[in-house]
Amino acid sequence: MNSIPVTRKPFFRRRKTCPFSGPDAIQIDYKDVKLLQKFTTERGKIMPSRITAVSQKKQRELAQAIKRARFIALMPYVLD
Amino acid sequence: MAFYETVFIARQELSAAQVEALAANLTEIITQGKGEITKTEFCGLRTLAYSIKKNRKGHYVLFNIEASAPTIKEMERQIGLNEDILRHLTIKLEKLDTEPSPLMQSKQSRDRRYESLGNDAYGSFEGDRE
Repeated sequence: MNSIPVTRKPFFRRRKTCPFSGPDAIQIDYKDVKLLQKFTTERGKIMPSRITAVSQKKQRELAQAIKRARFIALMPYVLD
Repeated sequence: MAFYETVFIARQELSAAQVEALAANLTEIITQGKGEITKTEFCGLRTLAYSIKKNRKGHYVLFNIEASAPTIKEMERQIGLNEDILRHLTIKLEKLDTEPSPLMQSKQSRDRRYESLGNDAYGSFEGDRE
């Protein structure tokens, strides 16, 4: 029974909302390592906002928090 | 008076008592300058993400300060002179939050709030060019 070739479903991802700009949004804090680690790759690099759907304003805050956390050795600069 | 938050890392060889003494004399400097320290947190010995000046671990201390800028400058100068302090970071804040900082309750899990943000939610993005 030949299976009907399923057309390649277009890669659709529901429109992700920025996790920081809702009314009850989480505060970005450079000491909150668990939160910041969610936005870094396994190598410790900061993930781009086009992947994590974080708004531009919050991405700047996030990047500054991660850099501060790295400065006081809460997070590594590079993870190999 | 402006609000500041200072975090500093003391060498691992120091005992907890010495770290408290260190914090006490910094508090002294602030109170002399007519500022006040609203919250002091000793986060204890933590392993550093990378070694600083050959130290693998460090005592983390956090201060919430309400003081004028010259007082902060004086405190920073004292911190800089002190060899036991490996690194410090002072930032200006709009308002001070009084509840314990996430640094302290590393064990106590607040993970459920971040469930939706899991790394896997973003697929396998390594972002490595090579």
